[in-house]
Amino acid sequence: MTRIGSFARITAVVLAIVVIAVPSFAATGSANFKTVVAIGDSYGAGFESNSLNEHHSVFSWPAIVAHQLGIPLCTLGSSATDNCFAQPIVSFPGIGPELQLMDISTYPPVIVNAAGQGVPLNTTFGRPFNNVSIPGANVADTFTVTGTDKPVTRGVQQLAQFILRGPVTEVDAVVAQKPTFILVWIGGNDFLGSATNGTTAGLTPLATFTTAYNTLLDKLVATGAGVVVGTLPTNPGAVPFFNTVPTVLINPATRTPVLGPTGQPITLIGQVDGTPPVGQLLPGSFITLGASSLLAQGFGIPSALKPILDPTNKLPAFGTPLPDAVILTPAETATLKARIADYNTAIVASASAHNVPVADIKGLFDRFATGLNVGPFHLTSDFITGGIFSLDGVHLSDIGYTLFANEYIKAINTGYGTHVPLASVATFMQNNDPSTKMASGAAAFPGMMWVLSDEASKSLMQMFSLTTPPPARRRASH
Amino acid sequence: MLAVSGAAFGAGFGLFEQGAKATAMGGAFAATADDPSAIFYNVAGLAQQRHTTFMAGGTGINFSNEFSGDPNDAFTSGATGRYRAHTFIPPNTYFIMPIGSNITVGVGVFTPFGLRTNWEDPWIGRFVSRDANIKTISVEPALAWQTSDGRFAFGVGAEYRRARVVLSRNSTLPPGTVNVNPFSARFIDVASAYLSSDWDHAWGWNAGVLFKPASDWRIGASYRAPMDIDFTGNVTITQISTGNAQLDALIKPGLPPSQPVTTTINFPSIANIGIATTAIPKWDLEFDVVHTGWSRFKSLTVNFLTTPAAGFTRPQNWDDSNSYRFGANRTVNANWDVRFGLLYDRTPQPTENVSPLLPDSDREGASFGFGWHNGPWMIDATEFALHFKKRGTQGISSPDTNFNGTYRTDANLVSLNLGYRF
Repeated sequence: MTRIGSFARITAVVLAIVVIAVPSFAATGSANFKTVVAIGDSYGAGFESNSLNEHHSVFSWPAIVAHQLGIPLCTLGSSATDNCFAQPIVSFPGIGPELQLMDISTYPPVIVNAAGQGVPLNTTFGRPFNNVSIPGANVADTFTVTGTDKPVTRGVQQLAQFILRGPVTEVDAVVAQKPTFILVWIGGNDFLGSATNGTTAGLTPLATFTTAYNTLLDKLVATGAGVVVGTLPTNPGAVPFFNTVPTVLINPATRTPVLGPTGQPITLIGQVDGTPPVGQLLPGSFITLGASSLLAQGFGIPSALKPILDPTNKLPAFGTPLPDAVILTPAETATLKARIADYNTAIVASASAHNVPVADIKGLFDRFATGLNVGPFHLTSDFITGGIFSLDGVHLSDIGYTLFANEYIKAINTGYGTHVPLASVATFMQNNDPSTKMASGAAAFPGMMWVLSDEASKSLMQMFSLTTPPPARRRASH
Repeated sequence: MLAVSGAAFGAGFGLFEQGAKATAMGGAFAATADDPSAIFYNVAGLAQQRHTTFMAGGTGINFSNEFSGDPNDAFTSGATGRYRAHTFIPPNTYFIMPIGSNITVGVGVFTPFGLRTNWEDPWIGRFVSRDANIKTISVEPALAWQTSDGRFAFGVGAEYRRARVVLSRNSTLPPGTVNVNPFSARFIDVASAYLSSDWDHAWGWNAGVLFKPASDWRIGASYRAPMDIDFTGNVTITQISTGNAQLDALIKPGLPPSQPVTTTINFPSIANIGIATTAIPKWDLEFDVVHTGWSRFKSLTVNFLTTPAAGFTRPQNWDDSNSYRFGANRTVNANWDVRFGLLYDRTPQPTENVSPLLPDSDREGASFGFGWHNGPWMIDATEFALHFKKRGTQGISSPDTNFNGTYRTDANLVSLNLGYRF
């Protein structure tokens, strides 16, 4: 099957489901779901695997909530007068071509960029999008960044051009729609950029955050619409970007720690809290996924081991400490957690002052960290295999966004006395069982077995160059 | 003919429909027991039957059901399901023969238990159970004796019960490996498990008394002993392709091989007591309480003999349960009787263990039937409607199934028996 054929089929199935499978029993309680809008960031946009594209934006958490409220998603064929939930639609492989897993028989697994680049497809849609979540947006951006900012210095401004489509902010765009209900999750980008760069520099000051959040809710509550917000995750250990790369040297062949001369695992070297600021990583340190390509060059391996592990000088960076940018030290982690906890306090206080219910997203991520059962399935925050996160290690999978959306549905039901049914992750059963497949006619969402072109396989993802086998592997497997 | 199966109709998986007349009277038959089905309902009732009689028939059972997922469950929300359409016809056959003036002997063939929960594809509960089938068939020689005045009777029987179990379900990835197909980020079926036992057997006994304290009052009681049947069988494990060869290869070594298995089913005791009166002319009225010792059904454990770690236990933790049954027989004329019955049957199953394997609930039943007899011939026919009260897991489905939702079931039963009195 060609990719085009596969794509067309998937799209057709998605559209059919969006049109047909609308729950008919979304009870409304004291909330009015006539015009539902969403303010948010990359999570709200359904950004997955480093990409914004139509395969996954249909499973953005606001889209899932809207679906459970009985509101169909707008499609490319929808008109401005249709009662549907409009979002930007970007063709596959998306803006930021989607990361794709190619091979799990090797270690690390082979992940590549899908070939090509997606383009926005519904820029002429005749009314503002219901979901104006812009990847990269922080709290203040929701009422400052417009679709016509000049000069464009940040990614969020660039994306705003086709999401906001005019001289308006996210808040302006939703207020203009006279919303009856506003879904809000914002604040992740007030700390994420710092965390992924292994630093606490750049965290939005608490006072700034608090003021911005209050300003945002002032504006939204003034519309008279129902509003729901959510807390922020505080635990890097719940996120594959931070919890995947161990702080000890791993033998790729056995996927177990390489043991040093003393029989102990070899702790990598890099930034530590103390003097000197470089040494064996402290317990509780997190190494980001961004370190993958560095480890492959020998970064982080103590130089004393060179005669044993790299006698022929194949690892150019052997003995070079991992850079600060890929390490969250225990002190940095503590600072980060404390700041996010403060943000959460501010969110809860602001929500309380505005009489707005709060979805427990912090609690959800805490459950991600421990693993959770949904029906017969177990889900964890493991990279690639856990099921909750997408291949960029930061953004959720379709399944993860469904669990995220359910936290919002629970908050809405509790806060507004509604009985909106939770979204089911059963939507994401591959239904590969032959009798199930036969009875279903077609699987709801066919397994997306990627068709790989030569170009695509050569196009390694820029973010984590995981396709290069770490040379240490050869040594360690002897 | 013996390979019958039935759905669960006498609370749990008991089948209390072993004769059309008794079924027409709501199963309130312990104190009446005046046809050869007394071998099942109250063996003491044989003694009052002073003609050699052959009776055979069956009950056709059809039902409609619907599973609807729990809107507060992130897996089952919005899901629906139903059983595949089947007509079950548990048969019954009896032959009785008086000996002398006080004794009657007989032999009966009946189906005291049965279960079939066969879910129609696509079925999202397939990881708990796709098809469950418990078949039984019993052969019981029996003997009853009564006092010469007919006021007191006593009977005993020896029941030889054969049974077979078939269980079918799918497996997903076990925790700790990969949780989804990493190439598609979709949940997958990795294997099907089809467990089929041999026909295995056990012996049990039963006894009953029938007492007529006055000319228009009767009291009957019966006890059928519990039985354990140990089964041997095989489980066939079949890998289901995920569509990705790498992933399939990764999964394969983790699957247990097809292998011999053993299991045991702890069948309950059944005790019933009834009181009947003919004080109203032309009317015969009876009220019974049936106590079923379901508390023996603690779990369903399947032992894998080659790789024991792959075996599993499904907790059931049932309680004893009672059913309350009322029946009436109105004599119309020398050839015709009309009958009706009502019953209320309490489920033995705790809420947390309601599952696709066996979603039980309290039942309310109403029956109507007639009997025609002319010379040596007898025909009994019954229509019986059984409503299962809506039963949900209330969000507390046990961890081994973790499958929340609500089951709605209705059944329609048609019983027919033909008898010949020599």
